[in-house]
Amino acid sequence: MTPRLIRPTRLQDRIVVFFVVLLMAVQLVSFLFIRYAIAHTAENTMREELRVGSRVFRRFLELNSSQLVEATSVLTYDFGFREAIATRDRATILSALRNHAARIKASGMSVIDLEGIVVADTIQEPNAGKPYPFADLIGRAAELGRTAGVRVVDGHTYQIIVVPVLAPLPIAWVSMSFVIDDSTARDLKRLATAEVSFVQSVRGAPRILATTLPPTRRGALVAAADTIIATARDGATARLGDEDFEVLATPIEDTGSLPIYAILQRSTAEGLAAYFLLEAIMLLIAGMSIAVTALGAIRIARRITRPVSQLGAAAREIERGNYSVRVGGEASDEIGELGRAFDRMATGLAERDNMRDILGKVASNEVVTRLLEGGDIELGGEQRDVTVMFTDIRNFTALVERLTPDQSLQLLNEFLTVISEVIEAHGGVVDKYLGDGVMALFGAPVTRPDDAERALHCALEIRRRVEGLGPVLAARGLPHPQVGMGINTSRVIAGNIGSPSRLNYTVLGDGVNLASRLEGLTKRYHVPIVIGVTTRELVRDIVCRELDKVRVRGKTVPERIFEPLGATGTLTATQMVHLAQWHEALEMFRLRCWETSAASLRELATLPGYERLAAIYLGSMRDLAANPPGEDWDASFTLYEK
Amino acid sequence: MARALLIFALVASLPAAAASIQVNVKDARGAGLEDAVVWAVPKVAPPTRPRHESSVEQKDKQFRPMVTVIQTGTMVRFPNRDDIRHHVYSFSAPKPFEIKLYAGTSAPILFDKPGEVVLGCNIHDNMLGYIYVVDTPWFAKTRAEGMARLDDLPAGDYDLHVWHYAQAAAPAVIPTKLRADENLPAEFTISLKAPLPRPGPR
Repeated sequence: MTPRLIRPTRLQDRIVVFFVVLLMAVQLVSFLFIRYAIAHTAENTMREELRVGSRVFRRFLELNSSQLVEATSVLTYDFGFREAIATRDRATILSALRNHAARIKASGMSVIDLEGIVVADTIQEPNAGKPYPFADLIGRAAELGRTAGVRVVDGHTYQIIVVPVLAPLPIAWVSMSFVIDDSTARDLKRLATAEVSFVQSVRGAPRILATTLPPTRRGALVAAADTIIATARDGATARLGDEDFEVLATPIEDTGSLPIYAILQRSTAEGLAAYFLLEAIMLLIAGMSIAVTALGAIRIARRITRPVSQLGAAAREIERGNYSVRVGGEASDEIGELGRAFDRMATGLAERDNMRDILGKVASNEVVTRLLEGGDIELGGEQRDVTVMFTDIRNFTALVERLTPDQSLQLLNEFLTVISEVIEAHGGVVDKYLGDGVMALFGAPVTRPDDAERALHCALEIRRRVEGLGPVLAARGLPHPQVGMGINTSRVIAGNIGSPSRLNYTVLGDGVNLASRLEGLTKRYHVPIVIGVTTRELVRDIVCRELDKVRVRGKTVPERIFEPLGATGTLTATQMVHLAQWHEALEMFRLRCWETSAASLRELATLPGYERLAAIYLGSMRDLAANPPGEDWDASFTLYEK
Repeated sequence: MARALLIFALVASLPAAAASIQVNVKDARGAGLEDAVVWAVPKVAPPTRPRHESSVEQKDKQFRPMVTVIQTGTMVRFPNRDDIRHHVYSFSAPKPFEIKLYAGTSAPILFDKPGEVVLGCNIHDNMLGYIYVVDTPWFAKTRAEGMARLDDLPAGDYDLHVWHYAQAAAPAVIPTKLRADENLPAEFTISLKAPLPRPGPR
């Protein structure tokens, strides 16, 4: 259930979420990649800068050293200085040394005789007369003419230059000392753009000789110095205290027995600071592009979903039957085209509905539906078993004699409306109106198994409804109307009859004509409904009264005709007794037992519904008695009229 | 003066027939060594000789000859043959001296103590010369092939010395007994020290 909550259901939200999530994913991937590249590049850049810094640094030390060597050499060529040395007077020499050291801002200066004994020393005066501590420097100066080295004296680090005093052959050695202290380190820091520390590597106890680091950071460097010296000759990352540094250890040349390293270090965080800004800008751009994309996606999604919603609402309107709804569509894109197509569809639907409405009025709904669903309207037909019903309002002309034409039509329509409603309620189809009559079909265009029963129930209902109209019309001073109905079931031809431009769905056949004739017979027998034998045999549960045998013109076999009286169980016991008596009398008549039949009919003649029948048969029997029929008498009535 | 010297020499050689020493100075590899100074010091006090003079020229910013050997008490002049001035000096113990920038010839300098005197020029660092002062009249300087000859030595006992400006250490003195008319050969082998890098001519 939870994913459903997260997953938006609205199309608009889904479009927006899709694009935003897609963009975020792309941004995230590229951000991580760039971030990795930046970190990698930054580290490489910093390390390379340190390498460059260390090269510059070393070159600087070399240049500085050779410059100091040159300067010292020049100084020792000073004639007065050489004369002073030549005096061998210690006090004079010492003061000359102080003077000359000051000339080139050296920290100290000493003179050593050719035997390696210190003649005078400005830093440690008591050294005079003792062997010079850095005999190796003297030895190398004797070999190379001059030399330089770095030595630690009393905890101070000096760059020491040793040159001979030439007159013009060496008469003594001069050692010039330049201190390397924190101030020197600071100068070098500007050059190398890194923190600079000089560390003497005493195994297990490295010592910081000079540094640009604040005192708080020195402990961490001392702790890591051995590792850095061992591993960071070409640069490495080291954690000093609580911060990461890029470090590089570069050995200082010629430092005597204990090696001295210059350790350059740069804070990784500071080196990355510029990249942090870049990262922040990237995040800002990513955020902005996501926001712009979200807004754009919302706009686009709305442009898609708003017309869709409008179309949906319009479609619901059309579903409800409101065809006048229009969505419009000015846009030239697909959505606009969809809107215009929708409007055209609505117009088409409205026209079709209108057509259907009109068709429904001139033809039955079933027929219209059948026609509309069937698509092409074709001439031609099919054979079907159809129950056809004709209705007719008895003496309509007499009924409307006292009415205006409008009133007449109104009255007629009242009847026809009631009749049509009942027909349709029973699944029948009004085929056409024939003046004041109606032709209805049961079984065409739609066949149902109980078409005949439906037709009879329909007829009984019409009889009941028309009887119900009696009091209403009586109130208007109109006579009681009578309706006659003829029903017959037969195989007919059903189809669209007419010309291609104007068609009529109807049925044709002898059975249809028979139904019409049966309707006409209602007047003879004074019954509301007359049905043929085929229909009679198709129905159950409806009590029928046989009326007669009728020989229709053109047919040799007489047709038995019946009157449906009502559904089984709706007649009273007395009525059923009378009906049985009637059928008995009819049987007697047909068996030529006319006296028996007549006696029975005379009893029935007084009963409502039997007067006319009794009169017809009694009259007929009088005629038969007067003119006895031949052997071929079949007790049928020959119908001559149409 | 030269005649007087000749006369003195003739007179001095008269009491006994003069002997000579043929000295060969070689380096450690056996090659003849030029500019080595050899001298013979008699066991008995050598005869005093009158003062005489010598000279070391400066030409083409070089001392010529580079090595000069003189007897104690010799007056040495430093004639400048260049058209620039020189400032000749020495801080060497036997005779520290200085002749400030000068042209032409200078006043003679008396060398009255034996030993090595290194000559330099204060304004031309590459200039280097030696005056070796010996306390005997019998001295010589080896030629290119390392040979030198000491002549006109009276018979007697001598100590034969050698010195070379590039020697690592002074070779042992060779005691020599000379008979009259004898021509004695002597040989020294000197191991040289590597020369100190020096400024070239500027």
